[in-house]
Amino acid sequence: MKILIVDDSKAMRMIVTRTLRQAGFDAHEYLEACDGAEGLAMVAAEKPDLVLSDWNMPEVTGIEFLQRLRADGNDVRFGFVTSESTDAMRALAADSGALFLIAKPFTADTFAEALSGVLVA
Amino acid sequence: MSVTEAAWVTADQIVEIAREVWGSFLSMDLEPVPDSGEPLARQTLTGVIHVSGGWQGTVFLETTADHAQAGAEAMFAAEPGSLSPEEVGDALGELTNMVGGNIKGLLPAPNKLSLPSVAGGESYTLRVPGALLVERVLLQGPAGPVRISLWRS
Repeated sequence: MKILIVDDSKAMRMIVTRTLRQAGFDAHEYLEACDGAEGLAMVAAEKPDLVLSDWNMPEVTGIEFLQRLRADGNDVRFGFVTSESTDAMRALAADSGALFLIAKPFTADTFAEALSGVLVA
Repeated sequence: MSVTEAAWVTADQIVEIAREVWGSFLSMDLEPVPDSGEPLARQTLTGVIHVSGGWQGTVFLETTADHAQAGAEAMFAAEPGSLSPEEVGDALGELTNMVGGNIKGLLPAPNKLSLPSVAGGESYTLRVPGALLVERVLLQGPAGPVRISLWRS
């Protein structure tokens, strides 16, 4: 399966990839994008099976990224990995079509729990 | 040291957030220590992130150049001395984003978090004009100190 990781921090993209492997999801292809605009292009070009996106990014934010995907009729599985995890944001994420929201900082167990049922380890 | 206002965020909460971030992503333990306010070192880096909306203010995350380097190497799983200044800045920016984002969650909503900025050098001063100090904590880790301050605009 293809997993697209979208975050404006290169360090965080590496940490997410590393944590996914630690959680047992190491048999997948990982793609990266640095913001929502690049994420939209990557989704169109690569058709990933899952998008893991930050919320706070330049150009196109994570929530804008998700809302544009859904407006275009794209139902790719989508989850947020973000430092902001208030109840209001979780509700907005879910209402916009996200399957989950993982709060930073996170652990491999957090990923395993959030992705169970979404990905096969 | 704090302004007289509702204690939306306490020093203990800032310490807990920092310890969780450093422990999870850098595998480093931080311990709070008394803060005299003196410069941390000759060369430092500072991450800055703003909160706006229901609460207006700024979070500063200041550390020594050596600590920023060590933290970035932990985040990138990189060999010592192998990272560029941009990569070190990227890592500090993300640490600032995580600390700031978690502090933001404790503040009156609705509010928004800016993108982080990172500055570095020798003997510089960063300030937000008119802002008042709400809380400041100093923590010590194996790679050096980190000072986190919250300012109300």
